[in-house]
Amino acid sequence: MKKYVLKRLGMALLTLLIIIFLLFLLVRVMPGNPFPSERMNAQQIANKRAELGLDDPILMQFWNYMTKLLQGDFGMGTSLYNGAPIKTVLNTCVSNSFRIGGLAVVLGTLVGLLLGVCAALNRGRFLDHFCTVFSILGVCVPSYVFLIFLQYNLSYKLTLLPYFFNEKQFLQSSVIPVVSMSLFTMSTIARFTRNEMVEVIDSDYVRLAEAKGLHGGRLVRRHVLRNALIPIVTVLAPLIVDLLTGALVVEKIYGINGIGKLMVDAIAGEGVDYNYVLALGILYSTLYIGIMLVVDILYGALDPRIRVSAKGGANE
Amino acid sequence: MKKWNALFLSMVMILSCFSVSAVAEERYLGVMLSTNVMSLDTNLATDGESFEVIADCIDGLTQMDADGAAIPAIAESYDLSEDGKTYTFHLRDAKWSNGTPVTADDFVFAWRRICKEAGEYAYMFDSSVGCVKGADAIIYEGADPATLGVSAPDPKTLVVELEVPVSFFPSLMYFPTFYPINEAFYTSLEEGTYGTSPETFLSNGAFVLESYTPGTANLTVKKNPDYWDADRVQLAGISYQVVGSSDNALTAFKTGSLDVVTISGNQVASAKKDGALSEKLAVTGAGYMWYLSFSQTENNAEGGMLANANLRLAISNAIDREALVEDYVMDGSLDTYTAVPPQFAASATTGADFSADQEAFADICGYNPEKAEEYFAAAVAELGKDTFTFVMIYGNNEGDEVAKVAQAIKSEVEEVLPGVTINLQPMTKAERLDKMQNDNYDIALTRWGPDYADPMTYLGMWITNNSNNYGFWSNAAYDQLIADCTTGAYISDYDARWEAMFKAETLVMQEAVIAPLYTKANANLITAGVEGIEFHPVALNRVYKNAIIK
Amino acid sequence: MKKSQLTPAPQAAEYVPVSGDFELLEQEDIATDTNYASQGYWKGVAVHFMRNKRAMLGLVIVITLMLLAFIAPMVSGYEYDEIVTALNAKGRKKPATGISPRVPAIHEMLTGEPYDDLFADKVFLFGTDDLGRDLWTRTWYGARVSLMIAFVTIIIDMLIGMSYGLLSGYFGGRVDNVMQRFVEIANSIPRLVIVSVLAIFMPKGIGLVIVALLLTEWIGMSKIARAEMLKMKEQEYVLASRTLGANSWHIIFKEILPNTIGPIITQVMFSIPTAIFTEAFLSFVGVGIVLPQCSIGTLIEDGFNNITTLIYQIIPPIVVLALLMLGFNFIGDGLREALAPKLEDM
Repeated sequence: MKKYVLKRLGMALLTLLIIIFLLFLLVRVMPGNPFPSERMNAQQIANKRAELGLDDPILMQFWNYMTKLLQGDFGMGTSLYNGAPIKTVLNTCVSNSFRIGGLAVVLGTLVGLLLGVCAALNRGRFLDHFCTVFSILGVCVPSYVFLIFLQYNLSYKLTLLPYFFNEKQFLQSSVIPVVSMSLFTMSTIARFTRNEMVEVIDSDYVRLAEAKGLHGGRLVRRHVLRNALIPIVTVLAPLIVDLLTGALVVEKIYGINGIGKLMVDAIAGEGVDYNYVLALGILYSTLYIGIMLVVDILYGALDPRIRVSAKGGANE
Repeated sequence: MKKWNALFLSMVMILSCFSVSAVAEERYLGVMLSTNVMSLDTNLATDGESFEVIADCIDGLTQMDADGAAIPAIAESYDLSEDGKTYTFHLRDAKWSNGTPVTADDFVFAWRRICKEAGEYAYMFDSSVGCVKGADAIIYEGADPATLGVSAPDPKTLVVELEVPVSFFPSLMYFPTFYPINEAFYTSLEEGTYGTSPETFLSNGAFVLESYTPGTANLTVKKNPDYWDADRVQLAGISYQVVGSSDNALTAFKTGSLDVVTISGNQVASAKKDGALSEKLAVTGAGYMWYLSFSQTENNAEGGMLANANLRLAISNAIDREALVEDYVMDGSLDTYTAVPPQFAASATTGADFSADQEAFADICGYNPEKAEEYFAAAVAELGKDTFTFVMIYGNNEGDEVAKVAQAIKSEVEEVLPGVTINLQPMTKAERLDKMQNDNYDIALTRWGPDYADPMTYLGMWITNNSNNYGFWSNAAYDQLIADCTTGAYISDYDARWEAMFKAETLVMQEAVIAPLYTKANANLITAGVEGIEFHPVALNRVYKNAIIK
Repeated sequence: MKKSQLTPAPQAAEYVPVSGDFELLEQEDIATDTNYASQGYWKGVAVHFMRNKRAMLGLVIVITLMLLAFIAPMVSGYEYDEIVTALNAKGRKKPATGISPRVPAIHEMLTGEPYDDLFADKVFLFGTDDLGRDLWTRTWYGARVSLMIAFVTIIIDMLIGMSYGLLSGYFGGRVDNVMQRFVEIANSIPRLVIVSVLAIFMPKGIGLVIVALLLTEWIGMSKIARAEMLKMKEQEYVLASRTLGANSWHIIFKEILPNTIGPIITQVMFSIPTAIFTEAFLSFVGVGIVLPQCSIGTLIEDGFNNITTLIYQIIPPIVVLALLMLGFNFIGDGLREALAPKLEDM
């Protein structure tokens, strides 16, 4: 197992390097200008490019970038928050997005699981139908519509919660974005849990367990949920990455300075900010690869049968 | 499920106990920003939001009065030499927020730095605007910044030498690019951290920075007790909130979260129907003018079709600007028929607005379907072709109304000129600029805001080889007129210069180099009792030094 | 032929068994049971599906929406990009901006008097938007685009995502490792970056959106399929099938696939709205469909921008999307039950 984890870790780092290089190339051919300007002449812009080393051979640029990156330096913005080191801006945005996204993941997963389990245990009854309708609504109504609804009712009509996000009142002001962002996850998880559970409940070994006299919570926990969890973990992983990296429109409406808005600003704002796009791309891919690594290892923990195949592979 | 409901309710209740907002002893003015503050460094700031916050905190040599004229700030007074080329500013006793006095050297340091870095607004020093001696060589050729024509014979005297007399020079001094920076403080900071937090930013103005990080959606400034004119400042502070959607701005205003918001045209229409809201509505000029730029080179528009003046005039005449502002923009923007928009450049001798007379060119570019058809017929005869397909590019992140205007123009032009098809292509502003600068577009819906209160901020754009001359139009007579106004014959004769600029504008309009559309206004909602906020279309959009909350 | 030479020839002498004697047959039609006459798998599926009331309701909903999307814009009397105008008293053309839903005949019947504005005789079933375009026409025009996105997504999910995941999971080991690293790379580069770069090489519009979806939309499905495969491939029936001589192709697509159909269909259903919103997002950033065209996603976006002033504007696209989703889900559930019937369902 340890060897497997180490091998996976090595692979992950290699993948990351490839991704950074690809990003590095792609960013440089994106349309738009890293120094958008209506007031500088061609010479001024050329000087700025030279200063940033954009005219050097690409491999040299990449080498310089990587050496800096390994020292934890993402460089400076060219068109976005120029003058401030990217690290500073990233710190604020990442902490906001991670906290809000993290809470949304927790809320969405817990409620989703609960709802899914309840629906599966009450198959064909009211709760089951409720779960179906809820999960359909949850995925096809965008989270910002929920946000507006909550903001309008809780902040505007009832004045229970702040109207905008404010770091100084983190707890109160994150309720609305957390709830609205978690609904998509909640409904996806609820639906998958329900379907998986139904399938597992119908399986022979659960029937056997029932026949042996096992029932209630113990049966659900020990036999049903554990087997239903594997595909759910798979669905959950990319959702976590999406939630942690912020929801653009939610951030825009609720005044959160988070990663989602930063990314769009970096690509589609005043200019194309190479360094910000890169920094955010690296952050995103690290997160994604990290979570996938955890998921792969979790598979083994959840289902011993997979651990076997992970070691050698069934067909080798 | 009942249990769950109860849990949720109790959660909400617990949170509601928290949320009773801490009653501030002093009420801050809540102000909406439509985009994030990009930088508090005068060398790097490029957007109106940044300039506004910088100007809250730092005073330049002069400041704006309610009408946009320059009145003394850090400079108590100034002397102008006989030949109009040397300004001597006498500074008053003012302090930075760390206690050190504001000296002439702070200006020298800041100005040299801006010329050396040669950023976006460095051009304000060069021979097209400020004409500060030596600026061109430093900005464009990398000369030694010490050669800039600015010096500090003593800590309270600043001498500025110009290449040629610049009639509006004192009014340039309230633009943030000309603000001072304390050298000792700046050099004591780690590189790249100036202006990134309250600790790394010094103010000498009405307010000091209270909370700010780059990229934040809310920042606050509080009253500066050590401000030289502290008695005048009534506000305890300002709390800025970035609001991404104008819809949200309206509701935030209704809840009282914000005192000053800008709303979109659609909302203006509905606010006008609402008695209580309509009283709080204040329409102010935003300054910038939207216009159509036509590419006149061979590379574009089906092989340079738009180089034909008749075709450009036909398109210009097919657009009903009155309908644009009334039915689509709807926020009080002004339909514009001049190449220099109204309301920002007043003559120093007569006080008259340069573009007060919107009728002057109305018969050239105004809405007139019959004339549009005539022009089109002439163009068809000249070009030997009767169907044209052009792509019109516009920014999709430049305001709610831009997409509406683009679609309205498409529909109007296509209806009046059956041979013309306009395909719309939205893109980011960055991409739009990139395409325009690289001469890779047919028609662009673009805008320009005045940087300083002189018509030249517009007219200077259309001279041959100017980087903002996106149509690549070239006219020797026009170039000569502008040269005479900036560095030549008319620089010392104010009224003659004014006349010449009008002649230049006539050329632009007659050839339909651009098709002016409308001058943007902001529809603001202001809480009852808040008074004295000064709105300007040029340089600083909002000034709060005289604002009060009653 | 080489192969026939390898076949052991009949031998007269005493036979010594070698390891090559028993080899897997790799039969294609291993599932065909010749002892019992059966009604045919697909016929059974069809019968089962038709009997399912919910599935049929779903089918009716989706077909109705498709018909409306196809026909309504043609017979509405307005063009999707037409700014409806009328001359006012001063002879100036005024657009029909911000008119709430109206049918003059009904209004007159209820209140006894006609509307007193310029558009008193015009029918706007869903009202007009802030440019003065008929929302009924635009909604159904937009539904066309979104339906297309939905079907493309289903195809992408089913063809690319599912096969990719199943193969990756089944073969495991090195194959799986390489395939998964590729997924990580494809998924890690922000979509906006890829699409912006693609936009240099191809015109913006629905084609670009589809290419963008092709690039990343299958990843979620491949993950699900792989996870299901990992769970299934160790089960006894797979081993049994292998022992009977089924080849990999047969095991993956005929034995395991029907057993994983549940989560796969659920995933397809969930990826449809995601794809529809992805399209809206791309359009919003300027690399999606070109204005004045519209899709359900962009209509929701527009409605959201006007939610305080034209509150009726956001309702039709959201309802259409919800109906579409409901329809697809019912069909999906029905299909799942029909494809992999459980004992108790029969």
